[in-house]
Amino acid sequence: MAGLFTADIENRGLVLDPRTKLFIMITLVVFALGGAGSDTAAVRWGTVAVSALPIVLLLTARSYKTAAVSGCLYALVKAAELCLVPHMTGAALSVCGMCCMIVIRLMPGLLMGTYMLSTTTVSEFIAAMHRMHVPQQITIPLSVMFRFFPTVLEGFASINTAMRMRDIRLGGKHAGKLIEYRLVPLMVCSVNIGSELSAAALTRGLGTGVRRTNICRIGLHWQDLSALALPVGLYGAWILGMIGVIG
Amino acid sequence: MKEAARIQDVTFRYASGDAGALDGLDLTIGQGECVLLCGGSGCGKTTVTRLLNGLIPHYYEGDLTGTVTVFGKSVRETAIEALAGTVGSVFQDPRSQFFCVDTTSEIAFGCENMGLPEQEILRRVDRTTEDMHIRPLLGRSIFDLSGGEKQKIACAGVAAMLPELIVLDEPTSNLDLDAIGELREIIRNWRAQGKTIVITEHRLGWLEGLCDRVLYMEDGRITRSFTGERFFSFDTEQLNEMGLRALRTAHPYLTSRTGLTQIKPFDGQEVLTLEGFRYAYGKHTALAIDRLTLPQGAVIAVIGHNGAGKSTFTRCLCGLQKGFKGKVTIGGRTYRPREMLRQSYMVMQDVDHQLFAETVLEETMLGAEETDLAAAMEILETLQIAACKDRHPMSLSGGQKQRVAIASALMAGKRLLVFDEPTSGLDFRSMEQTAQLLRSVGRELTVLIVTHDMELIDRCCTHLLHIEGGTVTHDLS
Repeated sequence: MAGLFTADIENRGLVLDPRTKLFIMITLVVFALGGAGSDTAAVRWGTVAVSALPIVLLLTARSYKTAAVSGCLYALVKAAELCLVPHMTGAALSVCGMCCMIVIRLMPGLLMGTYMLSTTTVSEFIAAMHRMHVPQQITIPLSVMFRFFPTVLEGFASINTAMRMRDIRLGGKHAGKLIEYRLVPLMVCSVNIGSELSAAALTRGLGTGVRRTNICRIGLHWQDLSALALPVGLYGAWILGMIGVIG
Repeated sequence: MKEAARIQDVTFRYASGDAGALDGLDLTIGQGECVLLCGGSGCGKTTVTRLLNGLIPHYYEGDLTGTVTVFGKSVRETAIEALAGTVGSVFQDPRSQFFCVDTTSEIAFGCENMGLPEQEILRRVDRTTEDMHIRPLLGRSIFDLSGGEKQKIACAGVAAMLPELIVLDEPTSNLDLDAIGELREIIRNWRAQGKTIVITEHRLGWLEGLCDRVLYMEDGRITRSFTGERFFSFDTEQLNEMGLRALRTAHPYLTSRTGLTQIKPFDGQEVLTLEGFRYAYGKHTALAIDRLTLPQGAVIAVIGHNGAGKSTFTRCLCGLQKGFKGKVTIGGRTYRPREMLRQSYMVMQDVDHQLFAETVLEETMLGAEETDLAAAMEILETLQIAACKDRHPMSLSGGQKQRVAIASALMAGKRLLVFDEPTSGLDFRSMEQTAQLLRSVGRELTVLIVTHDMELIDRCCTHLLHIEGGTVTHDLS
């Protein structure tokens, strides 16, 4: 899987609209992390189902390994929380209970974040922001920033290579200066690339007063609707639980 | 002939103090003309391209006098974004001119900025890809493209905006010979469409038959002007005298047989024996050399077409490739990849990535076994950079930075030096200096140079190592 906004567009499986991903992300934050509506049984089980959604999505994005590992981990921890933790007492309870809670609450959100960043292209991101009426003054600087990450990471990789050849590493002779030695060349390269990138952007008309067109096709398709069914259902159950229809 | 651009009595100095100032430059470019600007580094040719696309005065700051008009518009009074539809620019480094991660959006990027209707953009993208024969590149990830393919996409992105004038600033600096051939076709096509083209270049041979006019610049002025025909009839000596690179080289090395070939007298006896040089990325075999001996103390050019496995080979040799299991024998001792890391050093194309310290002297001492100041000074002396020993490495010129990197390798007692394209974007004089340097370093340790620069090979290499398809026993027919 590629890194930040460097989606491998040739081989990324099922494509979801960025807004769908954002909606799922928000749902995970509200229910898995925030624990909203956890006094209703239906919402509790619904949260488990929604927490499994990023794992399914990672499968559709062909990151089989990440999906399998995180799926097993989540299942194990959830089983432990349900079957073992209630029988524990004292220190074991606080330590295990804490660990289970961290994994169960945080992992789905982190996985969703990974999925979101690794499957969305910059153009899709801008198109989605545009549809959500976010002004150009915000989207353009953001998009240039995203474009910048992979290049900086590339630079970082070659700096690391050079350091290995010079035998500057943790525990080596110059361990204390590791950070400084890395940052100086990285900053010099970033400044150079950044200024060249801006120059190139200007000659291609970025920042003209006119409203930008975006040819990137985004929209809600069947896959978005199926991915959205579960989160929407969960909000429904929450509301029903709050007004006391279900218990 | 109608006039496309006129530069009148322009004097310019960069506020940053960068080289490339102009000193009373006059130039008129006719519509449909293809003009080549040449001259040594810092002669001001890049500055001229920046005047035409409006980067000067709108992006690079400095003192500008005189007037520049492009298709009747005064550049000074026209916003740079407004010029975008009229003047298209292709730059040196394909890495720093992309915004999107996929090729289709990248080609459409400029048109999107102009706010054209969606249908019109799709039509233009379609026509451009058709014209330039790059349909197979559509919908690909930018990060998986070769340098040549990236440069083609950059050209397509510019062409889709339908500019009247296209400026190219050293577009072949990072390209191999095949990619240069393809760029030539693109420019021939633009010429046939009647576009006005201005190119600055150090490598000149590929432009033969394309340029109507060649202008030679010195110290911010155009000092000589030739017709294309006259210029491309010059021989190597005449060009070198002007500080320009040769148009063609005597030996077309890439068509020679694969494997190791001696091309200059060499009397070393010792050898490095490489064994089990095999490496694969997933299922794709990138390198498959069972046994190879290289002469110790030689300067060896590593050549081959794009994707031949040259960089995998050098990365394996230096012990940088993870999971590589081959071995190298030097003087009866066998080294594993991890140990080769201590014996070798690679000078990267972007030297900035490997200079860490605050002064040149500190940088040199950094990799040293012990703090032997005298030895370090001696090395700096031999490499002729002792005078800048207290300067910050990042404040030096490209060639000086290269020397600092070499100094640190020598100081660390490395026995194998690998250079990745050490002369990309260098003019004739700097190339010659680099060649001399590599030759002198080569006597003490073994030097491998990955390069497409045939002129450099002619000047300093004793051997050729031609790799194709990851092996040295490839059948070239």
